[in-house]
Amino acid sequence: MTSGDKFFRFMNRYSIYVILAVLMVACSLASPNFLTVQNLTNVSRQISITTIIAMAETILIIAGMIDLAAGAVLALAGVLSVATYVATGSLVLALGVGALVGVLCNSLSGLVVVKFRTPPFIATLAMQTAARGAALSYTGGQNIYRIGNYTIFGQGYIGPIPTPVLFMLAVVVLTWYILRHTRFGRHLYAVGGNEDAARASGVSIGNTKFIAYAVSGVFVGLAGVLYMSRNNAGLPNAGAGLEFDAMTAAIIGGTSFSGGVGTAMGTLAGGFIMGFLNNGMNLLGVHAYTQQIVRGAIIVLAVIWDVYSKGRRVSAGKPVEAKTGSDA
Amino acid sequence: MLKSVKMLAVVLAATMLFGAAMAGEKYKMAYIARAQGDSFAAWLANAIREEVENKYPDMEVTVFDGQSNNETIASHIENAVVNKFDAILLQPFDTEANRYPMEQAVEAGLTAACVNVQIDDPRFGNVDATPYDQAAVNTKGALTQIPQNANVVVLLGPAGNPHALARREAWQKEFFDKRPDVKIIGEQIANWNKDEAMRYMEDWIQASGGKIDAIISMNDNMCAGAIEAAKDAKLGNLLAYGVDGTAEACLLIQEGAMTSTSLQSAYDLAEASVKLVHDMLQGGEPKVIMIDCPLITKDNVEQFIEMHKRAGAL
Repeated sequence: MTSGDKFFRFMNRYSIYVILAVLMVACSLASPNFLTVQNLTNVSRQISITTIIAMAETILIIAGMIDLAAGAVLALAGVLSVATYVATGSLVLALGVGALVGVLCNSLSGLVVVKFRTPPFIATLAMQTAARGAALSYTGGQNIYRIGNYTIFGQGYIGPIPTPVLFMLAVVVLTWYILRHTRFGRHLYAVGGNEDAARASGVSIGNTKFIAYAVSGVFVGLAGVLYMSRNNAGLPNAGAGLEFDAMTAAIIGGTSFSGGVGTAMGTLAGGFIMGFLNNGMNLLGVHAYTQQIVRGAIIVLAVIWDVYSKGRRVSAGKPVEAKTGSDA
Repeated sequence: MLKSVKMLAVVLAATMLFGAAMAGEKYKMAYIARAQGDSFAAWLANAIREEVENKYPDMEVTVFDGQSNNETIASHIENAVVNKFDAILLQPFDTEANRYPMEQAVEAGLTAACVNVQIDDPRFGNVDATPYDQAAVNTKGALTQIPQNANVVVLLGPAGNPHALARREAWQKEFFDKRPDVKIIGEQIANWNKDEAMRYMEDWIQASGGKIDAIISMNDNMCAGAIEAAKDAKLGNLLAYGVDGTAEACLLIQEGAMTSTSLQSAYDLAEASVKLVHDMLQGGEPKVIMIDCPLITKDNVEQFIEMHKRAGAL
């Protein structure tokens, strides 16, 4: 193996973390306020909701699917959770309702995908419209205010750590465990990598896809609770386009849109890259339009790297699936 | 054959009579909201529906959702023409993009009016609040309230939005040009959104070490988001200015977290715009009507909280 190949293999495996480190160094040089405990806590909190959705997307994308409804389901789950709290005063019940609504909506999407062989793009696009309509219909398009202690989920602290960050870490660990240590996780990679081969190996394609949607629904529902709590209001128009930010974090983190490739830690790193990028540009006062251009460029570069590295692996005689989940 | 023709004629005549009976004497108005997902647009749509139902027995309204999309709005206008509505009341999303389909509707014989944002055409009625004044009423107090050499942050509405631009212009001419000592340490587009404004404010608090004296926001929603971030960072003595007079802003003013806002009353817009359309349907001339934008401060906030309670927003 040449030193060039060694470098490529190293970069292929760890490039996301190298990029994250380079970005942190660059931001800390550009802004003295960047590398402070307060700011790192700030960024962690800012990325927590998007990263939780990104974990849901990672699970689905690994299995060769997608969820375009995450933002709308987040809004529906969030406003119903807020309404539950306002009506009952029970935080536990409100959290449960949020998660349950997420599971029900995504399970319905999963059912449509599995039973009717509908492309996930179409099924979740339909759910996006329906869930948004339901959230707006329930609230009459108006925000819900005076939500009292419900803010504890999104604005609270345990010690010095904001509660949304703790929720995010729990979801990351759970996703890592599912992908790395469970049969269901291995089935996700198998289904996304080569569905025919997975079927021939005895993997239940339908069950795997359905459960993937149900699990992702828990994460989306939880994100809905955190979103409303952080914003101190029930916002039926919340989360528009959030699924795309989440997918961006997953893709930057090395999850391949072709399926079969992706890790929880990579997506977390992708979330931090997006967070640091946004935070660094804000600290430096970069104009909003320029920020959009930079974010677009980052997505393109991440996908180019994904396609390029996959080509290198295939041309080197190493099948794409060989790496799946190896560093999850 | 003759029997079939007779049957067809009877069916057609019955259908026409039924249609005429169903149509009755009521005017049919299509109200096209900018986006029902936007809380102010939803408030306005509800107010217009209530206004028609409660005060105009000779009128009925159907509400359509423009979904923040000019193409969708154009389709709704075209459908209203084809379906023989008598009038279209539009909350424009983009004045120039929405102008042509509205002109086509007028040429097809419909009565047309705009509410909340104006399309400048003498054939349309227009009901609006002056966005410049909405911001300017806040600046009068801010001139004395904001301390010398203060650090302020500015939250902007969507790029190119006429209300967002006019409100920012008012702050420039009525405040920043008169107070060159005040420093803008952060200014970003938060698209009217609470969560985007919160993220920007969190970053500005980090960048400035918490040395922020005032939030100047082009609407209440963004102002409320920035206030949430300030609460978390425990910034004291913070001044905060918005526009719209939303229920949330009134509560924040009541608790002392927000300094002032100006009311853009959906009820006043609804009352004036429905009356204008009704008058135009009965032969009245198109007019431009501007509603007031009263300043809301801690001194008078209770009456506006009562207004929101009556509307079911609180």
